[in-house]
Amino acid sequence: MAEAKSSKKTVYAMLVLAFLAIISLLYYISAPAYLYIVAYLWFGFLYGVLQQYGRFCFASAWRDLIMIKVPRMFVGIMIGMMVFSVIAVFIFTYYPDRYHTTPLGLHGLIGGLLFGMGMVFAGGCATGSLYKTGEGNMISLTVLLSLAFSQAIFAVTIFDRIFDKFIAGLPSFSVTEILFGGSEGGHVDYAQYSFWQHFVGDALLNAILVAMILLVAVYIIVVRKGFLQRRVQAAAANADGGTPKTGFMDDLAGFWSMIASSKRTAIAAILIGVVAATQVFTLGWMAKKYDFVNFGNVLVGNTKSGGEPPATWPDKTYPDDVAMRSGDTVFDPGYWYITTQEAMFAGWTMKAAGLSRETMEDNHYFGDYNGLPRPWHSPALLLSFGLILGASFKSLLAREFKWKFPSRELFVYAVIGGTLMGVGARIALGCNIGAFYAPAAFGDPSGWVFFVGMGVGAYLSAKIVNWWANRKMADMDFDIDIEI
Amino acid sequence: MKFSKIDDNNFELDVTGYVCPHPQLYTLKSMEKLKDGMVLSVLIDNPSSVESVEQACSEKGFTILDKSSPKSGVTAVKIQK
Repeated sequence: MAEAKSSKKTVYAMLVLAFLAIISLLYYISAPAYLYIVAYLWFGFLYGVLQQYGRFCFASAWRDLIMIKVPRMFVGIMIGMMVFSVIAVFIFTYYPDRYHTTPLGLHGLIGGLLFGMGMVFAGGCATGSLYKTGEGNMISLTVLLSLAFSQAIFAVTIFDRIFDKFIAGLPSFSVTEILFGGSEGGHVDYAQYSFWQHFVGDALLNAILVAMILLVAVYIIVVRKGFLQRRVQAAAANADGGTPKTGFMDDLAGFWSMIASSKRTAIAAILIGVVAATQVFTLGWMAKKYDFVNFGNVLVGNTKSGGEPPATWPDKTYPDDVAMRSGDTVFDPGYWYITTQEAMFAGWTMKAAGLSRETMEDNHYFGDYNGLPRPWHSPALLLSFGLILGASFKSLLAREFKWKFPSRELFVYAVIGGTLMGVGARIALGCNIGAFYAPAAFGDPSGWVFFVGMGVGAYLSAKIVNWWANRKMADMDFDIDIEI
Repeated sequence: MKFSKIDDNNFELDVTGYVCPHPQLYTLKSMEKLKDGMVLSVLIDNPSSVESVEQACSEKGFTILDKSSPKSGVTAVKIQK
């Protein structure tokens, strides 16, 4: 019986693959240049598989550390980020224009705080909610929808005022710029720095040094006491008399055991780093091959070289799909990105429901660059879609897929959490990936500001969730005689 | 969520349907209520919570007696205090 069920799930997993293959083929037949967004789809698929395997979720990183003193995810993510920072040096060397630093300021801290509060209520960060949706978890889908619509509404209502007043004038810089100069006059050409300059400034100082300090702090604050206690007990059991003492070597062993217990997440995080780098290189190469800078160019027929669109491009143009103010761009980050495409999906839905293009796009967020393309023309949304299906594929194979629908309690948590994450991500100009993981790995100190905010927010929400849990536990009948 | 007593030493906590952080949180809070030697079987259908529970147990010095999958998508973890 169990075997029959297991083979059925394998069949479903294969159907997921077949579905993706058919979609890819249809895009290709329609126009070969669409392979660019098909690549997004398959990179999303790989992220989904790896995230589901490693349970990769930033909510868990802060929350489990704070609430149940489990450092697994925090450690795994830091290791992955350090590896990614080294890969990022190669990206900077070969594609210096694929990353742009983001403004450094209080908005990162406030946005991070709201985002951190939200992700603990929601039970997952932005990308964590995507992979969990793929596991059949409709509570996570509720989180995603709340995240999408709260961002879209925030973007068309008050975001511009906040941006113009508090964010627009802020400086943005990388550690390499600070160390080696070259940013005079505003625009920075990252190609001017050597591989080693990027390595020292961006990878070594901004990512590896900070991450190592945090790991040592987590060891000292969370892990050390329990580990040394267990070690002393084990030593005492083996020794005859006397209290065993612990020294530096024991601390080293403790630190290593903390790293080793995070193996699964760390492996996934390292592989995600490799996939992320491959994505940047592949998309950079494809854009060049098909003669465009941003995928929006393809939708309106503007080649990079200025000539006629080649035969590989779609025959039809879609002027309503690109950003109204830019005239030829859509959100096409070229690397792993999570929240903006969901906001665009919500924005497109609102447009499709009857709101005018002017209402939706006469603002910085949608109008300047991102646009509101139909979902099947939105490169990064295909990444999200692929991510969900990648997680479905992996969880079906692992027999972990299960449809789960929200109870009233979890629905409230999901909506509040998703909304806080959406507003937080907009204020901070990105989520845990776009405002922390990528900047921290690309030498941009603004990532750490968001990370600190996220931790403080997670702490506040953890207190609230814990209080609620205690209240519920008090109502439960344990029927155990507890000796006092 | 349902906590039930099987006999004087064995208890069951069903947290299926719950997502992070609730399964790991309720498991640890329930363990706090038990006396040394008592056993709690937890039913979880949120994959990432299973690993958080396992690691939290090893940090706290609880023993994991058994881990099984009674049905697809559900994991049963048997923990002794």
